[in-house]
Amino acid sequence: MSNPTPDDPNLRIAALQAELEAVKRREAEFRAKMVHEFLDRGERNTYIHVLREERAALMKREQESFADLEELTRMLEVEGEKAAALEAELGRIRRSWSWRLLAPLRALGRRFEPRPPAPPVERAPVEPGVFTYYLHTSPFRIYRDSRFTLRGWAWPQDGRAVTAVRINLGGRIFNGRHGLEEPEVIARYGPQAANPRPGFEVTFDTPPGRHSLSLEAQVEGGEWRWIMRTSIWCEPGRA
Amino acid sequence: MALDHEDIDLVRAWPGMSSDAQARWQAAASSLGDRSDYKKVWDRQSTESDLAWLSVAGHTDEGTLELTARGFIDTLRSTVGVGPCDVVLEIGCGIGRVGKPLSKECLHWFGADISAGMLGHAAGRLKDRPNTTLVELATVGLQEFPGDAFDLVYCTIVFMHLFEWDRFRYVEESFRVLRPGGRCYFDNFSLDSDHGWNVFMEGSRYPLERRPAHLSMSSSREELGVYLRKAGFADVRIHDLPNELIAATGRKPD
Repeated sequence: MSNPTPDDPNLRIAALQAELEAVKRREAEFRAKMVHEFLDRGERNTYIHVLREERAALMKREQESFADLEELTRMLEVEGEKAAALEAELGRIRRSWSWRLLAPLRALGRRFEPRPPAPPVERAPVEPGVFTYYLHTSPFRIYRDSRFTLRGWAWPQDGRAVTAVRINLGGRIFNGRHGLEEPEVIARYGPQAANPRPGFEVTFDTPPGRHSLSLEAQVEGGEWRWIMRTSIWCEPGRA
Repeated sequence: MALDHEDIDLVRAWPGMSSDAQARWQAAASSLGDRSDYKKVWDRQSTESDLAWLSVAGHTDEGTLELTARGFIDTLRSTVGVGPCDVVLEIGCGIGRVGKPLSKECLHWFGADISAGMLGHAAGRLKDRPNTTLVELATVGLQEFPGDAFDLVYCTIVFMHLFEWDRFRYVEESFRVLRPGGRCYFDNFSLDSDHGWNVFMEGSRYPLERRPAHLSMSSSREELGVYLRKAGFADVRIHDLPNELIAATGRKPD
C-alpha cells in the first residue's frame, strides 16, 4: 500500500471533514455559551428573580424591624429607669420630716386653690370595637420619615359595615380611604356581605416625639370604634 | 357494567409500590382543579427523594432508572439522532433520569423543569456531569432560553401531565429555541392502544371531585402531528414506539 501524498484527494477530504467537525463543535460551544450568558442575564426578567428580590426586601425589612425593636426596648428601659428614679425621689420626699410637718398646711391650701383645668383631651372619646383586622404596614416601628401610611384591612365582628376610617394621633385626626379591594383576604375568609372591599389606608404626620396612635373606624350607625391603639415614637432624620 | 368507585385510589400508583409509599403518594396528590398549577403539583410530588423518583419514573432503583433512560436514548437515536456536537434541551427533565446518561453523548445538556424540588434531586444526580445545566421554568414555556440555540429539544413522559394548550405551547417554544435545522421530539401514550385505553377508562372512573391533578391523559397521532405542523416544523413524522407510546418528530426549516 502506498503512502498518501499531500495531493491525495482522500487525505484532503479527510482533513476538510475534520476541519468541518471542529468548526461545528466550536459553533455548538458558542451556542451553549450563549445560552449560559442568556440565563445569567435573563434571570432579571423571570419570576424566580422577582421572588428573590422580594425575599431580599423582606429580609432587609426584618433586620430593620429587629433594630427598631432593640431601640424601642432601650428607650423603654431608659423611661423605666427615669420612672423608678422619680418614684424613689417622691418616696424620699414623702418620708421626710418637712413633708410631714407641712401636710396640714398643704391640705388647707388645696381648699382655697382654684380647680385645675381639665387635662387636654388627646383622643376623641371613642369606645373599643371588636374587629377582625390585619395591618400590612406595621405601626410598631420607629418613625423616621415625616409621614407614614398605614395600610390594612378590617371589619367589625358584629357584621356591620365600615363607613369611614381615620387615625387619631394625640388628638389630631387624619382621615383615610376605605373600601379598597382585598381579593386574597376575601378568598381566605369568604365573602363579607357588609364589607366586600375591606381594605383601607390612612396617611398621617409623624412629628418628633412620643404620641398615642389610635386607628379608628366608623361603623354603620355613625359611631366610631377603635381598632387598635399603641404608642409610637417619631424621630425624623435619624438613620 | 356499573363502576365501583369505592375501589378506586385517589392516585393511580405503580404496581409494587409499598403501602407506605402509596400512602405518601396519595397524600401528596392535588385535585384536578390544580392541574394547571404545574409548579405546585410537581413540587408537592418532589418533597422526598423516593417520592420524586416514583413520580417521574415509577421506581426508586438507580439501575432501572439508567436502563429505561438508555432505552429512551436509543429511541432518540433512531428517530432524530444524537451527535457529540449537539446542544440539547430536555423539557420536563424531572430528576435528570435521561440527562445523566445522555450528557455523555452530547456537547451540553440543559434540563428544564417547572419544579424546583425535582431540579434539586436532579442536581444531586448530575453533580459529576460538568456539561449539564439545570434551569427552573417560571411557568409554561421556555422564556428563560434564547432563540436559535439548540440542536435538539425533546420532551418525554411529560405530555400526559399537561393540558393540550400547554403541550402546544412547549412545541411552539421548542421551534423558537431550536437553531435552523434543529430537531424536536415529543411523546405521549396513545389513546389508540390497550394501555392508553385502560388509563383512559381508569381516569373516567374517578369520582368527579376526586380526579387528581397529575391524572395521565393520552394523545392521538393526529394531535401531535397538528401541533408540530402548526408550530412550523418540517419533516413531521409520527412514530409508533414500544410500550404503546407514540412520538412526533420534526425539523426546524433552514
